Amino acid sequence: MYWVSVFTEAGIFAILALGLDMVWGWGGDFDLAFYGYLALGSYMTFVLTIGRPTPPVEYIIGWHLPVVLAILVAVVVVVALAAIIGAIALRNLREIYFAVTTLGAVYALYLLVENYTPLFDGYNGVYGLINPGQTALRLTYNGYRIALLGVVLVILFLAYLVVQRLSRSPFGRMLRSVREDERAAAAYGRKVFLTRYRAYLFGAALAGLAGGLFAIFISAFNPSAWTPQELLVIYAAILVGGRGNPRGVIAGVFVVYVGFIELTRFLPSPASRPDFSPAMRQVLIGLMIILMLRFRPEGILRERPGLDEPGRPARPLTRPFRARALAAARAAASSSGSPLDIDPAALSALPVHEGTADEGGTG
Amino acid sequence: MSTFLVSVGVGLAMAAILSLSAVAFTLEYAVSRVANFAHGEFLTIGAYAAYSAQNVFHQNVAAAAVVAALAGMLAGLALNVGLIEQFRGRSAITVFIATLGAAIIVENVLVMIYGAANVSYSFAQGGLHHVGPFLWTTSDIEVIVSALAVAGLLYLLLQRTRFGKAIRAVSQDRTLAQVSGIPARAIVMRTWGLAGAVSGFAGFVLAETIGTFGPTLGFSFLLLTITATVAGGIGRPYATLGGALIVGLVLQIGGTYTSSAYELVFAFLLLVLLMLFRPNGVFVRRSAIAVRA
Repeated sequence: MYWVSVFTEAGIFAILALGLDMVWGWGGDFDLAFYGYLALGSYMTFVLTIGRPTPPVEYIIGWHLPVVLAILVAVVVVVALAAIIGAIALRNLREIYFAVTTLGAVYALYLLVENYTPLFDGYNGVYGLINPGQTALRLTYNGYRIALLGVVLVILFLAYLVVQRLSRSPFGRMLRSVREDERAAAAYGRKVFLTRYRAYLFGAALAGLAGGLFAIFISAFNPSAWTPQELLVIYAAILVGGRGNPRGVIAGVFVVYVGFIELTRFLPSPASRPDFSPAMRQVLIGLMIILMLRFRPEGILRERPGLDEPGRPARPLTRPFRARALAAARAAASSSGSPLDIDPAALSALPVHEGTADEGGTG
Repeated sequence: MSTFLVSVGVGLAMAAILSLSAVAFTLEYAVSRVANFAHGEFLTIGAYAAYSAQNVFHQNVAAAAVVAALAGMLAGLALNVGLIEQFRGRSAITVFIATLGAAIIVENVLVMIYGAANVSYSFAQGGLHHVGPFLWTTSDIEVIVSALAVAGLLYLLLQRTRFGKAIRAVSQDRTLAQVSGIPARAIVMRTWGLAGAVSGFAGFVLAETIGTFGPTLGFSFLLLTITATVAGGIGRPYATLGGALIVGLVLQIGGTYTSSAYELVFAFLLLVLLMLFRPNGVFVRRSAIAVRA
């Protein structure tokens, strides 16, 4: 059971990391607010499912929604917050200015949640979401936890498929082109702000989803569960796995979470000092970030090289494209008025980059 | 009205500390082009060094302050040699993330040594004094006077000495300074030592003013420092003083009229507003282009 919970947690954070990697890995924006999105997703899932608060406990909403619906609503709320923060931070601010602004925003949120009790009961936090649906599904406690791991892994896999698809889509390439050279991308007609903004909102949605799953996983949530520094572990995992590579990101999270928990269990831990070994774990994470940045910034699995990078053979057009191009060429050649002299055979032999053919429509 | 003036008085004490921290932060930025996220840890190290020293030196405040400054200086030198110089030539954001890693390391090493619980000094705070319209404790006055003194010394150092001239040259263009015969590496090194010392001292007076502190002291103060730095204009030491004044006052006055728990919320809102409308500082004309990467 111990390993079930370790893997569930890693799976949830892998979903968060996929979202964060879209923003940082593809878009190049170092955001520090993402743990706040996870937290908000978690809080919203709680207050939408656990019903009215009994005084002196107080929090907003207090509905009894089914948990799946609650998570969806939570994601919407998270995206709405990200839409505000992103609209402020992404428009003109880059790099450190962006990072500092997002950090300021998440700290303001943190302090507000911690001190303003009518929101999410301040420092005490919210609790009481214990294995929703366990009786309806007729599962034992352990059976439920295993089922939860399965659900998390399935959602992670679906998220991976979507992200991987996006990564190879015109949108993914556009985002990377904005990262590599914002001005060049703008000169080629890409809408820089909108591109970054869409990636930011999508990433935040994944963070909110992870937050909802996290709510089910830990069944109680308070400010001590989400100090904004926690996000650094996720960044460390992305760095280890390979920034910009979805497969690497997931691998990195599992390596860092599972590997770290396994390794640091054997660290010396004086019984009188319960804060000793978590602190040592943080020290190791800090060291890992610095060493990875210094010696292997691309991580274990490199980002897929761009289509025009040397050493990568240009790929021919996919079948439907080739057929359409051929038909168009034949039509052009047969109509006598055409000044173009195209030989369909030569065209079909020509290897054409995918990128030049299907990117046109998405400026 | 008297509530307002008391909060202005406390705000001035806070602004004095903030100005020290922000000047040090901006000096680090000026010579190395690094937004040093481990800067807050210099303050924490200074505060804890003074905490360790207070018993050795029998409650001598001046000795504790010197120890804090020395510890901060060592931390500054160590960070420059061990991290900043190692990452020379890398992109600004990479170095920034690395310093963030360093901040986590220092903070948690302090947890391992001193524990995560808050500690406090046993120096006497002194009585309350009415100075003009303000109400200050003895230690508040000491803080303000010493901060002004350090700020004055820094000004003289930057404007009147060869070292100050060299710092300004290196911050303009390190390579050009190097070919002009300025030992750029040594100047950068000494600047980090200076910035660390100022920060360590600032950490001590900050901890003394707050009363109790823990390993997150510096990290929480870092965002205020950055807000003050941005308010003044990053890389401009004198304007930073003005920025610190603005932030200190907004913080205290805002906190007085709502709840002290929301002080930092006001600071961060101010930061966001500054980033939106005056990213190059309130003392220069608006130009958003310059902060684009």
